[in-house]
Amino acid sequence: MNKAANNRIPTDWNGAIMQKRIAGRYAAERRFKAMGFVAVALSTLFLAFLLFTMLGQGVRGFQRTEIAVDFDFPTLTSGATAASITGANAEGALNSMDLPGIIELAMSQQYGDKGGELLTSAAVANVRQMLLADPQLISGKQRLWLPVDSRLDVAYKRKGEPAAEKTVETLSQNDVLRTGFNWTFLTGADATDPSAVGIWAAFKGSLMTMAITLLLAFPVGVFAALYLEEYAPKNKLTDMIEVSINNLAAVPSIIFGLLGLAVFLTMFGMPRSSALVGGLTLALMTMPVIVIAGRNAVKSVPPSIREAALGIGASPVQVVFHHVLPLALPGILTGTIIGMARALGETAPLLMIGMRAFIPTAPQGFTDAATALPVQIYLWSDEVNQGFVEKTSAAIIVLLIFLLGMNALAIYLRNRFETRW
Amino acid sequence: MAETPTHSKISTRNVNVFYGEKKAIDNVSIDVDMDNVTAFIGPSGCGKSTFLRSLNRMNDTIVGARVEGSIFLDGQDIYASSMDVVQLRARVGMVFQKPNPFPKSIYDNVAYGPRIHGLASGKAELDQIVESSLTRAGLWAEVKDRLGDSGTALSGGQQQRLCIARAIAVDPEVILMDEPCSALDPIATARIEELIHDLRGKYAIIIVTHNMQQAARVSQRTAFFHLGNLIEFGETSEIFTNPREDRTKDYITGRYG
Repeated sequence: MNKAANNRIPTDWNGAIMQKRIAGRYAAERRFKAMGFVAVALSTLFLAFLLFTMLGQGVRGFQRTEIAVDFDFPTLTSGATAASITGANAEGALNSMDLPGIIELAMSQQYGDKGGELLTSAAVANVRQMLLADPQLISGKQRLWLPVDSRLDVAYKRKGEPAAEKTVETLSQNDVLRTGFNWTFLTGADATDPSAVGIWAAFKGSLMTMAITLLLAFPVGVFAALYLEEYAPKNKLTDMIEVSINNLAAVPSIIFGLLGLAVFLTMFGMPRSSALVGGLTLALMTMPVIVIAGRNAVKSVPPSIREAALGIGASPVQVVFHHVLPLALPGILTGTIIGMARALGETAPLLMIGMRAFIPTAPQGFTDAATALPVQIYLWSDEVNQGFVEKTSAAIIVLLIFLLGMNALAIYLRNRFETRW
Repeated sequence: MAETPTHSKISTRNVNVFYGEKKAIDNVSIDVDMDNVTAFIGPSGCGKSTFLRSLNRMNDTIVGARVEGSIFLDGQDIYASSMDVVQLRARVGMVFQKPNPFPKSIYDNVAYGPRIHGLASGKAELDQIVESSLTRAGLWAEVKDRLGDSGTALSGGQQQRLCIARAIAVDPEVILMDEPCSALDPIATARIEELIHDLRGKYAIIIVTHNMQQAARVSQRTAFFHLGNLIEFGETSEIFTNPREDRTKDYITGRYG
């Protein structure tokens, strides 16, 4: 043994120096805890701030101001009956009835010459729906609540233009205004009039785009991950592929948009601003994320499981599909949904392929012109009309709920497929 | 030219195994028969596991591993292109150092092999195979009421017996055991050793072990490896009481290892 070790002075564990060391250690521990607490508190605060401002603004987007309108249907329609607007021909009968004129007339009778201007353009569609839902309305005098024009809407909810404020004041004294739930916002599409806009078209567009993205990026990404991990020989080429995929995941999304524009629109001539092209473009962007998550998940499957399966004569494909894939699935799914959530919030590449068009009707197919939620938010936030402010916030709430739903699904799937060891 | 294979179950002739440039096994020729349990002993890193894994071509999965020479199973060269490696591994089963049951039910663990090889024609036959395999592995009585439970929920010793049941469910001719007891406590080890006794004669068994007492207890024939060479191979009683080589003697008397 060396001499120094034998000649050591016995450690004085209770001495002042030792006590100071102990105190220092405890202090470091407390500092670390405090910093962690501050970090968590700060992020919670930011989140709460975001949610509160969004909710405060957005809730008004789901509300609309309604005005009471008295319809004397028998006189206004010169004797239309409930029977004429029921059954298969109801729509046609209503179309030939000149509803806009009827409403205009009713409004001017009740609120003076310019009464018709109090209503939003969506009011006609509202009356239509009411009549279709309950044809009996047409056979008598009715008081219907219809959405008001955007300027009045803003003035009633908060501060608006002076003229509109004045009108609202007069109307409020007569007790003909009330706040109702804005169904149009959930069922409608984009419009020039903020009180007539709806989020459904953008929501459906996003849904269709996501469907294309998932359908393409998930299988391709999973198979690429499985092949690279389980089959591909380890050489320069696969190393290069690995580096390329990692880089691809970090490429700014607008570049994928340009790629989509050049390849899908210009080269293949696919329909501009369609959910199909949007989905393809986002799939290019999401695939590397899925490949990386998939490879990590596959890598984390213990090699002993592969050996066990090989050892009783499973072929490599059987090893992959019976053992590796099921065990890697929770990780793959989590990665996929994170990638999809990113794609859902992506605006820039969709702008490049023309999904920023004004879309007044929900897309019926994958090749129809469509828009997506984040693009719709971007478009509305650009509008000068005050009424769009709350619609933008409301659209953000819808997008956040969509995201929340996807993350909840991710957690559910992970727990569902997770293997307990 | 390889010599004419003998009537042994497994015979190897002049086998070299390389990992890249490194030679892990040097010129090993050995014959393993059906009636005896054969033990491979030797210090760590001497290549006995490598050699064992080349007997059912598990080394194929290791990048850079290469086998030279001939290995015959029933006179058939297992490295010949006509040999199907999947079938080979069904005929030469393997039990690993660390128990590695699938994270599936006990039943599915045992039934997996018969299922992928199509050995059972129906549910009843599969049930029969599962029961007889678990019985042979000495596990049936302990698990018969909870076949649906996860195989990973069993204790270490039970897991290893489950792995043995899984290996014998495909009715192999040879079972390779790579230090099957090194992760187990003495009681579980004793059970596995008993089991090896019971399985003797039904399967050709080769067991790699670090535990010399274990080799002496379970095997009839012992091969001593050192630095990739087969130093001595013979009757276990002979090796342990009267080794021909000094290196064998030094190892079993604990001079090194």
